[in-house]
Amino acid sequence: MSLRVGVIGAGGFGLAIAQASARHGHEVVLWSRRDRELPDPIRSSTDIADIRDCELVFLAVPARHAVEVAEQLGEAIDGRHSLVHVSRGLVGAELKTITQVIREKTVCRRLGALAGPLVADALAEGRPSGAILGTGFPELTEMVREALGGAELRVYDTPDVVGVELASATVGFLTVVLAYAQELGAEPGTLAVLATRGMVEVSRIGQALGAKESTFMGLAGLGDLIAAVAGDQRPEFRLGSALAKGIDLSNAVGEAGAYVEGIEVARHLMEHARRLGLPTPISSTFVAVSDGRMSSDDAIQALMERRVGKE
Amino acid sequence: MLKRFLSERPLRLPHIKPYVPRPSDPSIFWFNSERDDIVADVVKRICSAHEPDRHRLEIALNDAAYHEIRRLETQRDEEARDRLGYWRSMIRRIGKMDDVEQRRVLHTIVTEMTRDVAGNFDPRVYRFARQAAPRLIGGIMEPRRLVAAAPESLDRVLKVQGDVELLRQLQNDGSLVFVPTHSSNLDSIVLAQALEISGLPPVIYGAGKNLFTNPIISFFMHNLGAYRVDRRIRVSLYKDILKLYSQVMIERGYHSLFFPGGTRSRSGMIERRLKLGLLGSAVEAFTTNQVRRVDRPVWFVPTTINYALVLEAETLVRDWLMEEGQARFIIEDDEFSQIDRWFAFFRKMVGMRGACIIRFGDPIDPFGNRVDGRGQSLTPTGRAIDPGGYVEQRGKPVIDAVRDAAYTRELGEVLGQRYEQDTVLMSTQVVAHVLFRDLVQSTPGMDLFARLRLRGEVGLDCETLCQELGEARDRLCGLEAKGRVRTSDVVKEDTPSELLERALSFWNGYHDSTAATLEANRVVLRDPSLLLYYQNRLVPFAEEIASPDQLQAACEIENLGVHR
Repeated sequence: MSLRVGVIGAGGFGLAIAQASARHGHEVVLWSRRDRELPDPIRSSTDIADIRDCELVFLAVPARHAVEVAEQLGEAIDGRHSLVHVSRGLVGAELKTITQVIREKTVCRRLGALAGPLVADALAEGRPSGAILGTGFPELTEMVREALGGAELRVYDTPDVVGVELASATVGFLTVVLAYAQELGAEPGTLAVLATRGMVEVSRIGQALGAKESTFMGLAGLGDLIAAVAGDQRPEFRLGSALAKGIDLSNAVGEAGAYVEGIEVARHLMEHARRLGLPTPISSTFVAVSDGRMSSDDAIQALMERRVGKE
Repeated sequence: MLKRFLSERPLRLPHIKPYVPRPSDPSIFWFNSERDDIVADVVKRICSAHEPDRHRLEIALNDAAYHEIRRLETQRDEEARDRLGYWRSMIRRIGKMDDVEQRRVLHTIVTEMTRDVAGNFDPRVYRFARQAAPRLIGGIMEPRRLVAAAPESLDRVLKVQGDVELLRQLQNDGSLVFVPTHSSNLDSIVLAQALEISGLPPVIYGAGKNLFTNPIISFFMHNLGAYRVDRRIRVSLYKDILKLYSQVMIERGYHSLFFPGGTRSRSGMIERRLKLGLLGSAVEAFTTNQVRRVDRPVWFVPTTINYALVLEAETLVRDWLMEEGQARFIIEDDEFSQIDRWFAFFRKMVGMRGACIIRFGDPIDPFGNRVDGRGQSLTPTGRAIDPGGYVEQRGKPVIDAVRDAAYTRELGEVLGQRYEQDTVLMSTQVVAHVLFRDLVQSTPGMDLFARLRLRGEVGLDCETLCQELGEARDRLCGLEAKGRVRTSDVVKEDTPSELLERALSFWNGYHDSTAATLEANRVVLRDPSLLLYYQNRLVPFAEEIASPDQLQAACEIENLGVHR
């Protein structure tokens, strides 16, 4: 059965979702601030009220715009709607997840977070890929599979929504760390240790915030990180490489070519971890490096000199 | 023997002339005339859910027999002598029974269990309770003024806050489900009184069978619509019956009360992890009415019950520290069952202005949206929406248990947040927090249990303490201005030294060992576990009300609540 799909945001992901949904025969309207030329049959709109008739809405805007867009969206949607976001960020120092923001600003409750090693190009072109949907609503999973799935996209699901959102946000930071290490010439073994221990570190904080460890070790966490390191051209990777070349943080962000939230997220995570009494050696060391308070040699030494314990 | 008699046999007044309810009477007045119908409805729905599937039916019967045999074998009382034989004989026969026989047995078991759960409502007892309860409780507080002014004493002790007018507007248009925090067995009594003085309708609620062992409470429970919950019964059919009974009552418009925390908060912390079973039954009641096109909405009223002194504080905190908390549902030997403690408690409370505050939070629909006086669900910006949309699929309302379970989890989250915002912090809790934080700060590196053993060993300078109290209070008022929490008038208006004196006076003479004493301008900590109990209410705010040098201690305190 054909769905009425609404997409909020005309960035790479928004467009890819719209194209994938249209390819599967669904009626698609894409909302953005500016009117755009879109391939048929996708309808472009600048009026948020056009989303009102959609059953399934995808929110594809960066986390820093989430509050503002959710406020606008709140005027158009209600309890009948199902909403899935694809943002990889968190909001503010309180580390609010995007679903929390949507809950505060709208009355929509059938919510989900789509994450994992999903790349916009692959989605748009229908190349084989996979993703993870965090939602407590199985009917929403079915709708997303119907809208985007089919033979080319495997959409797994988990009720651990907060886990998916936190894992997805922290992968951004770990990608910066790994790109930095790779640029410095770290060997595959070193990268593997950094990736695995980094994931353990962020998953500890995630668990304290209500997430499940297994989510970090699945598609939303390690799965996504593997895709990033394997070279799916993420801005976080470019940022890490630029930092390793000695470019300072503000210029490195420019080199990345897109807004990268990873380091900001890491700062807030460290603050939470401090309050909870949890160790964050990798995050703390890397934030010190990116702020120019520590050299790369000192960072490696500080990490290697730490006492080794049980895994 | 007496306990079993009281809990098994309802004490009821003889009926000479049946009471015919008037249209203006609250919905509960119609309960007795509808009770048989309600029981039949519950039995029908439970049986029809099991009957079509022989395998499921057989599992249900086996589960019932197995759990009842286990329970009765350990009970070894009169009930065991009466019923053990029945269940043993049944479990042997289940496999040999044909479909008809199995269905008949299921019907019998479900009917018996539902009848045991269903309550009774006697308007005469209700009227008596309305008139006599304030006088009685007031009389316990001030025996000398038993006749004249006792209800005034109660008014002085019990304060009601919140938008009561809004609740009054809603009471005739849907089912109100009061969902309070739970600290004491007195909660349901105090809440019933708060409803009465606020002009709100009486509610039905599930009362643990242990409450029926107190003869006075038992009489009122049996006759004021309470339904009985026997937590010793582990049979899954019984749990289904309890949930469905609650659901059917809400569907039919009976205003209800249940404690989503499940049992009394052992730690004294504001509940965050809620039991979702009964909450789910209320959400399903909404869905069922929508599907049947019955225009009877369900609204939840998050309510906080705030005591300056908790009747059972010592037993509860001991239980929490022994980590028995959740496993030990029924505590039969606590202060609630000791009448001398009741007297001591009420006498202490009456001397103190506003010692108990009931705060009715703003009502919400089953999806966490606020509601206006016309019963409309509103968006954060005030746009009216149709809550029926939440249970629609492709434009039609449908029953979907998994979806409703997800809504219920979300509702549980909302209630947890609302409890924090609507908690009214009392003098004893604020003072206990500052004292306990000082204890933590002065014993760095020590674990919780070592600190709790420091009885009479830590003394704090009164002047410094008052300064810290003043600062903590100011920061709490700042949080109150942001809508994060509330403080009692006493906390706002007293000077720090009055606040300290008030808290010490509350504790002295009621608890077996007092929490702290004033000795030569020093406050000596006498029972850190009591301090811990009272201060636990402030756990979510510890960090925000600490000064930079108290931050470390505040973080330690806040971490106590990680698994709240």
